[in-house]
Amino acid sequence: MNDSEKAPLIPEEGEVGFVEHQDFVYEHPFEFFYGGKIPELRLRYETYGHLNAAKDNAILICHALSGDHHCAGVYDIEERKLGWWNFMVGPGKPIDTSRYFVICSNVLGGCQGSSGPGSIHPKIGKPYNLDFPKLTVQDMVKAQSLLIDSLGIDCLHAVIGGSMGGMQTLQWAIDFPERVGRYIALATGARHTAQAIAFNDTGRQAIIADPMWKQGAYDPNEGPDRGLAVARMMAHITYLSDVGLESKFGRKRRNVDESKEHFEVEFEVESYLRYQGASFVSRFDANTYLYLTKALDRFDLHSPDSLDTTLNKVTAPGLVVGFTSDWLYPPQGNREIVESLLRIGKNATYAELTMDFGHDSFLVRAPKLYELIHSFLSR
Amino acid sequence: MIPIDKKRQADFQIIARWVNKGECVLDLGCGRGVLLEYLKHKKSTYGVGVDIDFDKILSCVKRGVPAYQGDILSILKNFPDDSFDRVIFSRTVEQLDDTDAILAEGLRVGRRVTVGFVNSAFWVNRLSAFFKGRRTINEVYTKPWYESQPSNPFSINEFEDFCRVRKIAVENRIYLSGDWNSECSLSPNLFSGYAIYDLATIV
Repeated sequence: MNDSEKAPLIPEEGEVGFVEHQDFVYEHPFEFFYGGKIPELRLRYETYGHLNAAKDNAILICHALSGDHHCAGVYDIEERKLGWWNFMVGPGKPIDTSRYFVICSNVLGGCQGSSGPGSIHPKIGKPYNLDFPKLTVQDMVKAQSLLIDSLGIDCLHAVIGGSMGGMQTLQWAIDFPERVGRYIALATGARHTAQAIAFNDTGRQAIIADPMWKQGAYDPNEGPDRGLAVARMMAHITYLSDVGLESKFGRKRRNVDESKEHFEVEFEVESYLRYQGASFVSRFDANTYLYLTKALDRFDLHSPDSLDTTLNKVTAPGLVVGFTSDWLYPPQGNREIVESLLRIGKNATYAELTMDFGHDSFLVRAPKLYELIHSFLSR
Repeated sequence: MIPIDKKRQADFQIIARWVNKGECVLDLGCGRGVLLEYLKHKKSTYGVGVDIDFDKILSCVKRGVPAYQGDILSILKNFPDDSFDRVIFSRTVEQLDDTDAILAEGLRVGRRVTVGFVNSAFWVNRLSAFFKGRRTINEVYTKPWYESQPSNPFSINEFEDFCRVRKIAVENRIYLSGDWNSECSLSPNLFSGYAIYDLATIV
């Protein structure tokens, strides 16, 4: 027994550096939970670090709604956009690529190289659009499991994800208990609240109401950009917090020509959100947004069986982390998962971080989160 | 002088003596998870800790002890009857808001409830109150009142009253003297500094 609290032992940090994506192609029909099928499955993914000889050091990272497979490193000298979780993934970082082989794939239904409504049907030669099958989180996880098979990995050291990634993480622990060594789900929930569904549907209606949407059969270069930008602007507000927005923008104003503007950008926060909307449109597909948000709304670990019955399939130890200022996936929804797991005698830990960044807190570099993930993975 | 860590863990060995091998244990106010780690090591228990403070939960994670960050009463209400072989309150009861309800819930959720507490009627405290008109400051209670957590100290006699009024069966009781180490049997309410009780519901 050792009662002395050691200082956090986090070694010198490095960077994963230049990375490349790869494509996994599964040349067989892939069947969805609700019965739909696609003739082949593609997942775009990246890996960092090295798979050991025993193939037992792999960590799967599941991304959130607007994320993708590029979670660490940069592509090129000219293209230095860091991966979305770069501060968490790398040599000496909590998800330590000098110890672990880290995998992150673009989700099924996504638009960054994986099979989704925007990809070309291999037999018909045209995009699936709304013929892409009805999608669930189970389907996302099943597709990832085929990728993990192809890498020759039986059991993952860990599965980790926040938000939609947290739902996938829980689904992994439920659907493939023998393949998950441990799991960490951040800023997530067992199901969407009515408020979360309401926000998602408002976003979907903004897209559907855009005449450029054309029942989903739009030209990829002339999509419902206005609708998608508005959906993103609104969703982005739900990822932040009132305190966070207030401290970042308050009522700061832009220099505007007051003689002529009516509804042009006047406040900094407007400019910020419009920029978020516009940049999202340049990298995201409207139909994917519809499919993924619907999959999230449908996700429900309370149904058809009770939460306790559903989670009873889990065998791995788990860590669930809630964030105090997250009003989209509030602490209570995170806590509820661990309460259920403990009720049925499972090994689970709930930790709650006081942070002001709302739902996006898990994407913010914070020493306590850093240490928590580092400690849980290395135990 | 007994080292401070020894004092902090005064009841660990006694609790470990009462715990059976492989028991399922809930430690309320688990702090850094040291007791649960000790019980796991000594008695192969499966233990869960509860604490309100993030840093304590982080320490539990480092020790490999599952833990829940949150309110004691609400997590107790989460569990069906007899979910645990033992529910432990080690120096927790004096910090509780709703002691009566929490101990009742503890007895519902655990087959046994173990309570370790500092005896407020220990003679040193009495002398300090009588002669100095001040509370004791020592190696365990190091801070003056205005820097301390709110707390609700009670004596061995008062705890006995509680067990009698609430019809709780005392299965076992051990009193430690002022060093919190050797056992004390003579007039415990006066000469004992620390008490450990093992409780069960009267059926």
